[in-house]
Amino acid sequence: MGLLSRLSPAALRILALLVVLAIVILFFASQIEGYLNGRLFNRISSSVAIMALIATGQTLVILTRNIDLSVGSVVGFSAFATGSIITNHPDLNPLLLLLYAALVGTGFGIINGLLVAYARVPSIIVTLATMALFRSFLVEYSNAKSITSDSLPAWLTDFPNLPVFSIGALEFRAGFTASLLVVILVHLCLTRLRPARALFAVGSNPEAADMAGIDAKRVVFAAFALSGLMAGLAGFMFLARFGNITVVAGLGFELKSVASSVVGGVNIFGGSGSVIGAFLGAILVDLLETSLVRWAVVSEFWREAILGALILLAVATDTILSRRLTKLRTKKSKEAAQ
Amino acid sequence: MTLAPTLALRGISKNFGMTAALTDMTLELFPGEVHAIAGENGAGKSTMIKIMTGIHQPSSGVLDVDGEPVVLNGSKAARMRGIAAIYQEPMVFPDLDVTENIFISATSGLFLNRPAMRRAAKELIARIGMTLDVDRIASGLSLAEQQAVEIARALSQDVRVLIMDEPTASLSAHEASELRRIARALADDGVSVVYISHRLEEVFQLANRVSVIRDGKHISTKLITETDPQTLIAEMVGREVGNYFTKMPSTATSETLLSVQSLSVDGVFEDISFDIKRGEILAMAGLIGARRTDVALALFGMLKTSAGAVTYKGQPLKVTSSRQAIDAGIAYVSEDRRKLGLAMALPIRWNISLATLQKYLTPLGLINTSAEIATAWDYKKKLNIRTPNTDIAVGNLSGGNQQKVMLAKWLNMAPDLLIVDEPTRGIDVGAKAEVHALIRAFTAAGGTALVISSDLPEVLALGDRILVMREGRQMAILNHADASQESIMALATGQKDAA
Amino acid sequence: MKHVLLGAAAAMMLTTANFAYADTIKLEPGKETNMVLLPKFLGILVFDQANEGAQEAHKELGNPGKLEFTGPTPENSTAGQIEIMTTAGTQKQGAVMLSNNAGDQIVPAAEAAQAAGTKVVTWDSPIPGGKGESVFVAQVDFGSIGTVMADMALNILGGKGQMAVLSATPDASNQNAWIESMKAALAADPKYKDIELVDVVYGDDQAEVSYNRALALVDKYPDLGLIMSPTTVGIQASAKAMQDEGLCDKVKVSGLGLPSEMVSYTMNGCAPEFALWDFRDLGYLTYFTAYGLATGQLKGEIGETFTAGRMGDYAIEADPGREGAKRILMGPFTVYNKDNVEAAAK
Repeated sequence: MGLLSRLSPAALRILALLVVLAIVILFFASQIEGYLNGRLFNRISSSVAIMALIATGQTLVILTRNIDLSVGSVVGFSAFATGSIITNHPDLNPLLLLLYAALVGTGFGIINGLLVAYARVPSIIVTLATMALFRSFLVEYSNAKSITSDSLPAWLTDFPNLPVFSIGALEFRAGFTASLLVVILVHLCLTRLRPARALFAVGSNPEAADMAGIDAKRVVFAAFALSGLMAGLAGFMFLARFGNITVVAGLGFELKSVASSVVGGVNIFGGSGSVIGAFLGAILVDLLETSLVRWAVVSEFWREAILGALILLAVATDTILSRRLTKLRTKKSKEAAQ
Repeated sequence: MTLAPTLALRGISKNFGMTAALTDMTLELFPGEVHAIAGENGAGKSTMIKIMTGIHQPSSGVLDVDGEPVVLNGSKAARMRGIAAIYQEPMVFPDLDVTENIFISATSGLFLNRPAMRRAAKELIARIGMTLDVDRIASGLSLAEQQAVEIARALSQDVRVLIMDEPTASLSAHEASELRRIARALADDGVSVVYISHRLEEVFQLANRVSVIRDGKHISTKLITETDPQTLIAEMVGREVGNYFTKMPSTATSETLLSVQSLSVDGVFEDISFDIKRGEILAMAGLIGARRTDVALALFGMLKTSAGAVTYKGQPLKVTSSRQAIDAGIAYVSEDRRKLGLAMALPIRWNISLATLQKYLTPLGLINTSAEIATAWDYKKKLNIRTPNTDIAVGNLSGGNQQKVMLAKWLNMAPDLLIVDEPTRGIDVGAKAEVHALIRAFTAAGGTALVISSDLPEVLALGDRILVMREGRQMAILNHADASQESIMALATGQKDAA
Repeated sequence: MKHVLLGAAAAMMLTTANFAYADTIKLEPGKETNMVLLPKFLGILVFDQANEGAQEAHKELGNPGKLEFTGPTPENSTAGQIEIMTTAGTQKQGAVMLSNNAGDQIVPAAEAAQAAGTKVVTWDSPIPGGKGESVFVAQVDFGSIGTVMADMALNILGGKGQMAVLSATPDASNQNAWIESMKAALAADPKYKDIELVDVVYGDDQAEVSYNRALALVDKYPDLGLIMSPTTVGIQASAKAMQDEGLCDKVKVSGLGLPSEMVSYTMNGCAPEFALWDFRDLGYLTYFTAYGLATGQLKGEIGETFTAGRMGDYAIEADPGREGAKRILMGPFTVYNKDNVEAAAK
């Protein structure tokens, strides 16, 4: 049996994404002078560290046939609240600070979860409302003050850019490495933990999940709480990386996280997808965005439109590619069986 | 038998509002037996299954498991007791693979041991004698394979009572015989198998005992060797034929409106031939899975035919879409009000004008609401639709009134041929009589009707002639005078061959 | 705070404003009128500073009416501003003081408010077409911002080098006007001839987008010496990006920034010079203007001159940048550097 027939459909999907990523990189390398170097890796990896966390949380929610549009506001609030705490208590233990960010995010996630799972309001309505609501909380809480990077302790602002290890010219910094570890951890949980399977079941066939004795409410609730947790951690990273936090922090992250998940092969109708896919999706979206800025052919006014078109193209290409690969795999395993 | 029944229903009743779905039901299931349940559609079988699997709670009466009274609140509680059900439409998770589907309900352990799960899945699949790649995604599986997955899932939880509800209705002959083999093997392993099927030959092949239920009541339980198909049918249909359903004289004329010759759709039905005269009502009888609806869909242009010819108003009829059929004057009233028939959230009058909206357009292309309202009120009066006004969402009406709105929608296009699929399913007897009167009035006024019904009294009350189908084949066309519930049932279950 | 007054042009304009018209109106305090101060959105420091200035003027003038500071949330800025403007009109507020973020979309609401007797005074960011607006209180002359930015670039680059602009959004009218005026200034004087403006990019006034755009500029132009960002979010994010990537020796940052946010970057050399005006003063002057109009003491006609408390005399004049519109020019600018930034940041 060849390699192809041993790969699961999920793995094929990842493979297709990697191929698309490679195509994009090669294309821009041919267009932009001095494109392919360690610096590009630094740019993308540092920038994607935050979005990867949010997209991971978003994926958990989308898997259950829901959507979380409040993540941007949660990131903003968590970044500000965390920054505010550390400004007032500069000696706070780093782990406690991280825990605080996580708790703030989880708290907001729990509000979403209660409303969607137990009050049975559609998630798009709930999170559209809480997106505005949480942002208003932030406006209220911030009292028009900003968090500035010079009021933050050095360990915090230095953390994202701390080199951890290098592979050749590729330097892995602490922010990206931490975020990558979280993604891998969540991926392992999703594939290896028994309760995680319920997430897929509820999104795949809610009726059958009910018949199978799965408590769909609890599952949906948990997904939103975890999405909040991820957004909280992302808020921590946002604070550490940008230092200067105003009430607009995290604005627009909700749609970018949905885009990352969908580009990464997460089915918007629930039931299938992986956080590794969403992670690669976030990288692809970021790569396209960064590269377009450097591509002299595209003017500023067309950039957004072209970015949208390229994202669509990427989704189409990787869908077709993974379908082809799956077909090929079925054919191969049939041949092997004969 | 001296040993305690695995599961017993003792005096179980279930009421939905004023309707009694089950009355004083008693049933005992023993280890190692295949226990068939026979009954007409609507006899209360599905309510009984739902009570046994914990989905419904009985209004009164007791459930015993191993001789001990239990309360099954929810499907999880039932499964903990080893009670599981599989249905005609399997309940699988399309995005998960076979292994994951089998172990979805497992609760022990936090970590998944994938290699162990795969091994166990393979063993379970092997135990029911199937060959199936345990890594395949469920959405690509055939119905039979999906059912196998469901059975394996039940086995993984040490099932002791397995309820199979019309499991073979959608399967090919070969797949069905495979499934019966599995059911037999499970029973030989000590599982109590409850087998519900309309196919009487299956019942006689497989079951140890058979219970008949009718109108929510237990009629009889016999060893299979102590009964025969004729007795069983008599017990199933044995109620007094209601006075509501008196056959009216035929209004058929001599002109042939529709003539169907050897119509086939590959793999669905074959060689269907019949004529309908203008003014006539032709009833199509048969069990679930007889493919009557598919014949209707083929005539309505929604199913591509593979052979045969249709003559309509003396011309060959060639329709490839519902639009063409409607333009030709053919209306099809679906059996599924919710999915295909009505827009539940929209007002009554919108629904009535939906298929004929072009009649209500002003020269500017706007909808002439006053004409629309007038039509809606006209039908409200004619069909006796009980509603204060026509702006109420259809979903708020009772089932019978919804059915009338749906008929109004199609009658409004003044069709030559009205195909009605299960016109009175799920509506009360009073409304049934009204719907029948409506169909008769339609034919008396020169219309022609093809009525598909699984309700035998209804078939006999409406059909000037009765076409009986079984598993995609035409068994016979009976004149009303020659037809009885017993003769139709015998043809529909295959106990009597095509004449 | 040490003000560095800018060039002859700005000084001359102040002179004209002060002495061209003889009858300077002294606003009579104590008249009652309710007013709304409407920022782009809530939660931004500079808008709160403007509010402080307005509140100061409110007290000083002893207006028994109410001064309400209200604005939309960030994600709802445009629709929220239109809604608040509409409400203010129906409530018969005396005046709305608007930092416009809704472009010309706000015109119908503003005109309706005017028709209901509510004066619309814009500040910070005007209504582009000038319709529905009584007068615009301009923080500085938009033309002079260009000169200031060109001078800072000349100074930082030492007379020669590549510069790129990181702006807010492609449709921010004040930003575009400033960039155009800088281009005009660069072309006008031969002393700028060795300064090359290589690109204009947009960071959407969001930290992460601006940060990434700044780095993309560095990657795109290996010889880049300066990022000029006329937005407080953009300049801070650019400076942080250059600092994080250790690029401060090569690429400097300048533009319009808040001392409290920029102090560390100015002290460590990443952003040696930047400029800004005082938002408290802007709020103070805007309040005086709106009060005068709402109480009928000012007619809002070109040529009127009035005294704005501690800030002195100001005149209503034609807005050179927007045909048919009127403005009051505040000025002056403050340029911040190592010498004065720490004091300004408090």
